[in-house]
Amino acid sequence: MWRFLAGRLGMGVLTIFATTIAVTLLIHLVPGDPVQIMYAQSQGTTPEQLDTIRHSLGLDQPIYIQYFNFIGQLLHGNLGFTIRGHQPVLDVVSQRLPNTLALAGVAMAIAILVGVPIGFAAAYRQSSWLDAGLMTLSIAGVSMPGFWLGLILMMVFAVDLGWLPVSGTGPRNIVLPALTLGISNAAIVARMTRSSMIDVLQQDFVRTAEAKGLPKSVVLSRHVLRAGLLPIVTMMGLQFAFMMGGAVVVENIFAWNGVGRMAVDAIFQRDYPVIQGFILTFAVVVVVVSIVLDALYALLDPRIRRS
Amino acid sequence: MNKRFRSWSASLAVVAALGLSAGGAMARDIVWARYGDIDSLDPQRATSTLSLQVWSLIYNTLLATDKDGKPVPNMAESWSANADGTQYTFKLHDGMKCSDGTPLDANDVKYTIDRAFDAANPSVTKSSWGPIEKVEVPDPLTVKLDLSKPFVALVPFLADSFSSIICDSNKDQPGFGTTAAIGSGPWTLQSWTKGDKIVLKKNPDYVNYGKLADNKGAPYMDGLDITVVPDEQARLAALKTGEVDIAEPPPDDVPQIQKTKDLNLVVADNTGQNVFWEFAVHRPPFNDKRARLAVGYATDAAAAVQLIYGDLTSQEECPISQGTFGNDPDFCKQFRPAYDPDKAKALLKELGYGPDHPLETNMLVWTGGNRDKLAEIFQQQLADVGIDAHIQMMDIGTMNARVKQENDTKTGIGSMDMMTWSWYDPDILYSLWHSPGAYDGFTTPELDAMLDKTRVLTDPKARADAVHDVLKYLLENGVQIPLYSPGWEWVFAVRPQVTGFHVAPFVYPIFNDVKIADD
Repeated sequence: MWRFLAGRLGMGVLTIFATTIAVTLLIHLVPGDPVQIMYAQSQGTTPEQLDTIRHSLGLDQPIYIQYFNFIGQLLHGNLGFTIRGHQPVLDVVSQRLPNTLALAGVAMAIAILVGVPIGFAAAYRQSSWLDAGLMTLSIAGVSMPGFWLGLILMMVFAVDLGWLPVSGTGPRNIVLPALTLGISNAAIVARMTRSSMIDVLQQDFVRTAEAKGLPKSVVLSRHVLRAGLLPIVTMMGLQFAFMMGGAVVVENIFAWNGVGRMAVDAIFQRDYPVIQGFILTFAVVVVVVSIVLDALYALLDPRIRRS
Repeated sequence: MNKRFRSWSASLAVVAALGLSAGGAMARDIVWARYGDIDSLDPQRATSTLSLQVWSLIYNTLLATDKDGKPVPNMAESWSANADGTQYTFKLHDGMKCSDGTPLDANDVKYTIDRAFDAANPSVTKSSWGPIEKVEVPDPLTVKLDLSKPFVALVPFLADSFSSIICDSNKDQPGFGTTAAIGSGPWTLQSWTKGDKIVLKKNPDYVNYGKLADNKGAPYMDGLDITVVPDEQARLAALKTGEVDIAEPPPDDVPQIQKTKDLNLVVADNTGQNVFWEFAVHRPPFNDKRARLAVGYATDAAAAVQLIYGDLTSQEECPISQGTFGNDPDFCKQFRPAYDPDKAKALLKELGYGPDHPLETNMLVWTGGNRDKLAEIFQQQLADVGIDAHIQMMDIGTMNARVKQENDTKTGIGSMDMMTWSWYDPDILYSLWHSPGAYDGFTTPELDAMLDKTRVLTDPKARADAVHDVLKYLLENGVQIPLYSPGWEWVFAVRPQVTGFHVAPFVYPIFNDVKIADD
C-alpha cells in the first residue's frame, strides 16, 4: 500500500514539474510584455523607467533562468511576487484558492447526486423509454456550453425570479455557479454510471444473488451499487480536474473570487509569476485529489490492495 | 408540540435573518461594478484607469478640472508662476484635514513630490511632474516648486489624480498601497479584497473646494462599494436586480436600454479619449504619406460610429480630443483628410495601385466594445477605394507589442492599427510622436522641434498656437488620423432610483451628489 502511494507521489511530482515547464514556455510565447501592459495607460512612464522596472523584476533574463529562479524560490516555499502590485503570489493564491475549492467541491457533489441516480435508473431500465430519455437529456447536458448555461440560470433564477444573487462571493452566491458547473458534469457522471452499472448487472455474481432469493433492493444496494461505483471513484479524479478548469469560466461569469478569475486576469496582464503560481496550484490539487481517490479505490476494492 | 413549534420558529428566524443579511437591507452603500480591479492604492505605483478612478475618490489634488477640462483651484486656493515658467507657488486652504485627523498642509504636498522623485524607488509617473528640482515649504500653507526647465503640462497634471496628494501620515503605515491609504478625498478606505471589492466609507470632514460636484461637503451616502464583475451580461443582470447601482452595460444592450428606459444612461464627455488610425511608417506602403492620407480619405468615421454606437459617440477631428487644451474642431477640419473616396482612389492611382492591384494591409484592432463590428465597416469602406485590409483582433497588450514589432520590421505587407490614448493635456502628443516615439513609430526632427515648443510656452495663446502647429503637421502628413471620441468605458447604466451620479472630464465618476430613493 505504501509502495503504491510512494509510486503515485513520485509520478505526481514529475507531472507537476512537467506542467510548470510547459506552461512557462507557452506563456512566454504569447506576445506582450507585462511591464509595458501594466503602465500602458500613462504617458508618464518613460521607456528608461520601464527598462529599470523590467530589470528589477528579472524579466530581462532568458526564460530558462527565470524558470530556474522560480523553481529555486519554490523549494524555499516562496512563489515569488506578482508583477502587478508586488504582492506575494502565495498570499494572492491562498486567499482565493478556498473559494475555488468550495465551488468545485459543491459542483462535484451536485454532479454526483444528480448523475449517479440518473445513470443507475437508466442502466436498470436499459433500452427502455426511460433509458433513452435520460441519455438524450445527458447528451444535452454535456453539449451545453458552461457560459451559456450560466447566463441562462442567472437570467431565470436571479433576474426573473429573484431567488438568488447575480454575482459575488458568499454562501448564497455559490448556488448558481455550482449548478452551472455541476449540471454539465452530472451528464458525464450519468453516462459513466450507466455503462458501469450495465457491466455489473450482467455479472454472474448478480445473477447468483438473485437466484439465492435476495430481494431486488438488497441485490441492488449491497452488490450492484458497490461494484458499479468503483470506476466512478477514479473518474471523479478526472472530473475534479475538469471542475477546476470549468471554474475559470464560471468564476468570470458570476464574479466568484477564486483562482480561475485570478488566472484569466493574470493571462491578460502577462503576470507570469501569478500564472505559474496558478498552474502549480492547479496541478498540485489535481494530483493530490487523484492520489487520494486512487488510494480510496484501493481501499474499497480488495483486489487492487492484494495486487 | 410546544418544543417542535419553538424549534420550527427558531429555524425560521435564522433563515429570515440570513435572508435579510444576505439581501443587505441595512444602511445602504452605493454599489459600483467594474470589469476589473485596481492595481494599487498607491498613486505612484500604477497607471491603469481602473486605479486612477479609485484614487480620485480617496485622495485629493492641488487643482481640479472644470466641466470643460480646464484646471481650476482646489486644495490650492490660488497659484502663480514666474515669467519663464520655472517657478510655481501654490497657496493652500487653511484647516484642511487628512481622513485620519492629521492636518493636511504644504508638508504633505512636499512629502508627495519628494516621494515621487525618490532616487531608490521613484514614482512610475515621475516624468509627468516635469523637471522639478526643489520643493520648498516657506510656511505651512505655501508650496514653492523650482523647475530646471519650463514644463507647462505640470498645471493640468496637478488637476489629475495621477498627482494625488498622499498624506504624510502614510509613511508610517506598513500596508500603504495594499491595506492602508490615507488621503483627503470624499471617501475613506475601509477594506480592499483583491480581485473582489473595495469598500469605502464617506469622509465626514470632506470639504469640496473645487471638484465638479454640487454638494460642497461630505457625500450624502454613507458608503461606496466598488465591486469587480468581469462579465458584461452579469453586470446588466445585477443592475436589473438592484444588486448593483451603477455599471458599464454591454454595448449591444444600450439601444434596448435607451428604448425601455428601465435604466438611465450617463454618457461621459470631455473624456480626453482619442481613437485614431496610425501606421507602420518605416516601410511601404505607409512610409509614403499619400498612402496614409488615402486611408484617411477612404474612412467615414461618422457613419461607422453612428451605425455601431448611435449617438453615444461622434467623429473626432483633432488628434487631441474635446476637453483637452488646444482641441479645436474647426481648425482641424481644415487639415484632416475628410471622407472623399474619389480623392483616396486618385492618391492610390498615383502610387501605382488600382482595381487589379489593391493596396494590401493588416488592420490591427483591440478586442471588446463591438470594435470588431466597427472594424468590418471600416474594412468595407477601404475596400470601396481599393484597399484590401485584413482585420486582426487582439487584446490590447498583444496589440501594443505587435505595433512595435510592425514598426521595427522592414518586410511584409502594410500595417495600420486603430490605436487609442486618453490624456488630460496635449503633452500626450509629445510622448506619441517625439523621438524615440511610442512603439518606435513616426518621428521627424521638424516635428520634434514643434513638440519641444509646446512644453515650454507659458502664455496660453502662444502655447495654443504651438499645439495647433503640431496638429496641422500630424493631420497633413496623415501621421495620426482621428476617428472618434469617446471610445471606451464611457457609458454608465444607472438604476432609476439612483440620482445625482455624473462623470467629470477624463472619465472620473463623481459620487458626492448621489442619493438612492428606495430605502
